[in-house]
Amino acid sequence: MSENIVILMIGVSTFLGALGLIALLWGVKTGQFDDQSKFIDAARYDGEEELRDAVMMENKKKARLKKKEEEKEKNYMPPD
Amino acid sequence: MAKIACTHCNLEFDESVMIIEEEGDKEKSNKKLFFCCKGCQGVYHLLNSEGLGTFYDKLGDTKLQPASQISEDLEKFDLEGFRNKYIKVHDDGLYEINLIIEGIHCSACVWLNEKVLHKTDGVIEASINYTNNKAKVVWDPEEVKLSKIIETIRSIGYNAYPYDPSLQEERAVKTRKDYYSRILVAVFGTMNIMWIAIAHYAGYFTGMQQSFKDILNVAEFILATPVLFYSGWVFFRGAYYGFKNRIVNMDTLVASGALSAYIYSIYAMITQRGEVYFDSVVMIITFILVGKYLEVLSKKHAVDTLDSLMGSTPTEVTTLKEGIKSLVSIENIQIGDIIELKPGEKVVIDGTLTSGQGSFDESSLTGENEPLYKQNSDAILSGSICLDSVIHYKASKDVSGSLLTSIVTLLEESITKKPHIEQLANTISGYFSNIILLIALLTLAGWYFWNGSFETALIVAISVIVIACPCALGLATPMATLVGISIAAKRGILFKEATFLETMAKSNLLALDKTGTITEGKPSVVKAELFEGFDPSLLLALVDTSNHPISKGISSYLTEENDPLKHLTLENIKSIEAKGIKASYEGKNLLGGNVDLLKNEGVEIDANSENSLFFFAMDNKLLARFELTDTIREGAKEAIEQIQALGINVVMLTGDHEQSAQKVAKEVGIKEVHAKLLPQDKSALVNEFQSNGEVVVMVGDGINDAIALAQSNIAIAMGQGADVAINVSDVVLLDEKPQSILEAYKISKRTFRAVKENLGFSLLYNVIAVPLAVAGFVNPLIAALSMSLSSLIVVGNSMRIKFLNFKN
Repeated sequence: MSENIVILMIGVSTFLGALGLIALLWGVKTGQFDDQSKFIDAARYDGEEELRDAVMMENKKKARLKKKEEEKEKNYMPPD
Repeated sequence: MAKIACTHCNLEFDESVMIIEEEGDKEKSNKKLFFCCKGCQGVYHLLNSEGLGTFYDKLGDTKLQPASQISEDLEKFDLEGFRNKYIKVHDDGLYEINLIIEGIHCSACVWLNEKVLHKTDGVIEASINYTNNKAKVVWDPEEVKLSKIIETIRSIGYNAYPYDPSLQEERAVKTRKDYYSRILVAVFGTMNIMWIAIAHYAGYFTGMQQSFKDILNVAEFILATPVLFYSGWVFFRGAYYGFKNRIVNMDTLVASGALSAYIYSIYAMITQRGEVYFDSVVMIITFILVGKYLEVLSKKHAVDTLDSLMGSTPTEVTTLKEGIKSLVSIENIQIGDIIELKPGEKVVIDGTLTSGQGSFDESSLTGENEPLYKQNSDAILSGSICLDSVIHYKASKDVSGSLLTSIVTLLEESITKKPHIEQLANTISGYFSNIILLIALLTLAGWYFWNGSFETALIVAISVIVIACPCALGLATPMATLVGISIAAKRGILFKEATFLETMAKSNLLALDKTGTITEGKPSVVKAELFEGFDPSLLLALVDTSNHPISKGISSYLTEENDPLKHLTLENIKSIEAKGIKASYEGKNLLGGNVDLLKNEGVEIDANSENSLFFFAMDNKLLARFELTDTIREGAKEAIEQIQALGINVVMLTGDHEQSAQKVAKEVGIKEVHAKLLPQDKSALVNEFQSNGEVVVMVGDGINDAIALAQSNIAIAMGQGADVAINVSDVVLLDEKPQSILEAYKISKRTFRAVKENLGFSLLYNVIAVPLAVAGFVNPLIAALSMSLSSLIVVGNSMRIKFLNFKN
């Protein structure tokens, strides 16, 4: 039975570690480590206002998409 | 008079010259605002009205550039030619551009710019890199124009110009990211295998049931597989390319060693006989991958080489056809067209002057800062800048034949054909890999022949490759050069790539530019004669109205010599092209300028001197006489002497006249002088030196040096030099001291010595370890231990570079 314990221990700990690794890899891939100075400097200006700013940008993007779609619908002409 | 800081830019000025304003708010009505100029005042109010006043809290005491107001040339951003060149169109109709933002001093500036861009309608995405101040902006062309975006950035006191995110830079970032991910996986695998391996080793000495051993083996196998095939992929790829070109390189050795150990370990795991080598597999991969990463990390990044040169040139020029002015794209200019040039404009097309006269700054072509006076039928060269008047000239060449374009083409060529000096480690590892692979094969054959067991023979052969596997060899160069680079950086010498240290250590010829490199590059006063009635404040007010280098030299001399001077306001200021300045003050006529100007006005003067002269007169009475010359940088003579003592041949290349070149050369002790060189001549000379077998280090600062810099083995640029020169250079001297050139030599020589020691040590290690492995004395534990130990010794030896002594 003790073999199972060993398997469990190695399995669980490696799995947990792997989760951390995947998170790091995801961070690298999405460019979160590209700008070294941003780590130190940008943190100082992080606050509520910046969050609102980010939301505003998201909304802008959405609004544009919506507009595009509406235009598409407007211009849609059924084939004869 | 008290100095007061400008509310916007924090620069300090006399209270009397500042714009003073009462804070409009009633609550803090006693607060006064001070501005150094209209620009700063405008920006301050704009930011406050936009609710971005918190910028000043974030800014703290950082000093900014005063906000200048540039409004012209905005329309060029919306032109067709510009769009094709810099703007990327997304599939969904959005436009994207990369900008370099000028005037960013601190992170608060980055914050402000991002904020303002975010608030602009139609901007979908804007992010600015904190490290290199480059911005990526995505916008909707239906809602906002690019010119509007640029205008917004300018309105808050910064400037932006576009650049091509040259593929090279993008690729460099991608490689770095790629390596980073691979190393993360490798380190994760290695660390986990290591602690499993400890259990393994404990079992090796005290005995362990086979069933537990199997569990550990499988766990190691699972962890080692991604490390070998994902992280180790670079080695397999390298080995494959090597195989295709019939070269045995370090990658071949690493790949074959790791792969054979891996396959053997699987065999041992399945048959439950012998020991597994998974820990050695991952350790080799990890160590050597880190070594490779160190090299990639210190590779030249961001090679926007030519963008700054071409980016600042106009894409359109004003032409005159039958009296009608029109903007024409430079590609459409034909020989014979009449082009109008306004003050401050850069010439893009060669031609001859037809009407008007003015001074031209040709420093980007000759390196000399003194403007040249041109009049009817003089040649206008592209790359020069029209300084003070509107002129018309006739195009004598089209854009592709013009000097500026041909310089750019030459530059591009020189960069690609830069001679490559093979690195010592690469040469050695080639031989090394061949020998080790051969020894391993012989071992396999020998043991099979004498012992009869193929399995034993295979284990021994693998252990030869594993133990020989050159962790130490792979780390030898990157470790040493990384330490060398960081020491150099602390002393203001930036090596852009690690390999340059080794090349520089091998160099035997140093080519120096004169103006701006050996000398300061700007005239300064060497002799001043002052007569009765001279008032320094008056002269300062006069020279401050001009941008001419001589005026600047006088201005800095006056502020240095005298206590804070009064600010006087002059009237009727008139600059006389290439001669001087006229003005009046309280009814008196002031005159400042060269010999010609004063003679024309009938002032008696002593015009006898080998230096540039500047005279100052009031109501035709001479008040002061100054002699100016370009002074040699401090310590240049000593530095050059010591460099020569290192056995390096020092020569001077300059665009200046023979006479002044010889004078400077004599003073600093240079024997070989080449004068009156055009940019392409300099590069041809460098090429000639190289074909004589010399390894050339070139030091320069201007656009005129750029081609020669690109051609030389190691190019060193002065930190204040032209952007292009800095971009094509391999080394940048931030403090511009000639002493730094000597230090760069010392650091590179010391680093190269450490590289040689490291290589020597790792070869010695192999000479001892490989015979033991051939004899079959090496078990997995010893292999792992000795490998880490040898790597540690290499790291330790490299650290010794830090003790380098710069004093004599």
